[in-house]
Amino acid sequence: MKKMTAFICAAALALSLTACGSGTKDNETVTIEISELAEALLDTVTSDTLSETASSLVPSIYYLDEEEVASAVAYASSGATACEVAVIESTSADGTEDVESGMQTRVDNQIELYTSYNESEAARLETAIIKSAGVYTVLCVCDDTDAAEALLESYGF
Amino acid sequence: MAQGSRRRRRSEFAYVMKLLLWVAAVILIFEGRFIHTMLTFDASEAAVLENSEAETESESETEPESVYYVTSDDMYLAGLADAGLVESETETETEPETQATVSNPDSTAIVREQTAAVDDSYFSDAVFIGDSRMEGFRNTSGITEGTFFTSVGMSLSSMTSSAVISDGNSKITVAAALSGGTYGKIYIMLGANDLGEYSWDDFKSGLISVTNRFQELQPDAIIYLCSCIYVEEDKVTTGDYINNENVDTLNSILLEVCEEESYYYLDLNEVLSDGYGSLIEGASSDGVHITAEYCKVMLNYMKTHYISATDAGETEEETKEEDMEI
Repeated sequence: MKKMTAFICAAALALSLTACGSGTKDNETVTIEISELAEALLDTVTSDTLSETASSLVPSIYYLDEEEVASAVAYASSGATACEVAVIESTSADGTEDVESGMQTRVDNQIELYTSYNESEAARLETAIIKSAGVYTVLCVCDDTDAAEALLESYGF
Repeated sequence: MAQGSRRRRRSEFAYVMKLLLWVAAVILIFEGRFIHTMLTFDASEAAVLENSEAETESESETEPESVYYVTSDDMYLAGLADAGLVESETETETEPETQATVSNPDSTAIVREQTAAVDDSYFSDAVFIGDSRMEGFRNTSGITEGTFFTSVGMSLSSMTSSAVISDGNSKITVAAALSGGTYGKIYIMLGANDLGEYSWDDFKSGLISVTNRFQELQPDAIIYLCSCIYVEEDKVTTGDYINNENVDTLNSILLEVCEEESYYYLDLNEVLSDGYGSLIEGASSDGVHITAEYCKVMLNYMKTHYISATDAGETEEETKEEDMEI
């Protein structure tokens, strides 16, 4: 009986730790200071100097309803490159799916536009990172994707 | 013989001394101003003088004779050249005339500076349409209000007929996006992707067609045509046709369209030009897209250059009167 209980507990634990596809981790206990994470991700952008975009405009950039966004921090380019960093806190964990979808749409659109305009930026957009953890979703279009991935892992993504 | 020679030398010496004294006296009497300058001039005064010169120049270009310029001669006499305060003779000696950023500076279509600046709420019913430069403005100027229909690489042609605006589900044309809401102001910025694309006549007729269509869709909106911002030619790598001569030509067409169709011309180059028909040096990393610092300058310009309800009313009256006369 004891062995059975131990097995069930272990199986439950293993299942709870399993990621559920497309870079999403259903860890609702993750708590992140979004400004801090966004600023840290800025270090992975070396070819441009990004500036903070007004948070009130962030939902429309990623095709989201304002009600879906609890808070957001985004840094973007003046247009010289396609680099951008955005960290969005959804009002619920279910909301991250919409945020990921909105971010992916934005990236796809940018790839399409940059392909005829600036191919190297289109290639950079192909390596865009979109990941969620708990109620947070991150978009990072940068120069050093390995460093960005490592940083996100350290934050629980 | 030797005594005579010594006497001659002494008298020659006395003559030279007298001459030097005269020179010194002349300098003291006539050039005292420079000696005074030499003794009292310091770098901060030089900076103040430089600024006041610039202000006077821009405020009253019609009265250049009233401006006192410190010439390089003054500087050299005052010993300032050696002190490193004179960079080059050409800089101080011949002040090249600054170039106007508009083809018709007296045009009534040019939006003039208002006495009071508006805040971001002015843009709450505004829609901004444009290319990557407008997108960069949205991204980095700090503007907090407004709707943006922007698209990297947008040109007059794509603005007119291509589905370049995404609503999250599909792509639609700018006109379709515009018809999805009600707006009080429309800011249009394009041109960077139109330089060298068409004949200028085609550009003008195309622009009239698209702006008139936008006005039909938003009959109560004030339409602002933003000037095409100058480029830093040395940094541009995307093609020779992106040059300031073309920018000037395109801007003269934008202004003509504003005059003919009763739209408003926003002369952004008033604050983004280096004064000589080019973008301010260092205002862009790639020569085309302006940095956050200058996007903020652009936002401040928009906040002080707008059409008030009274101005809009007056223009409408003028247009009606003109129609009656015709």
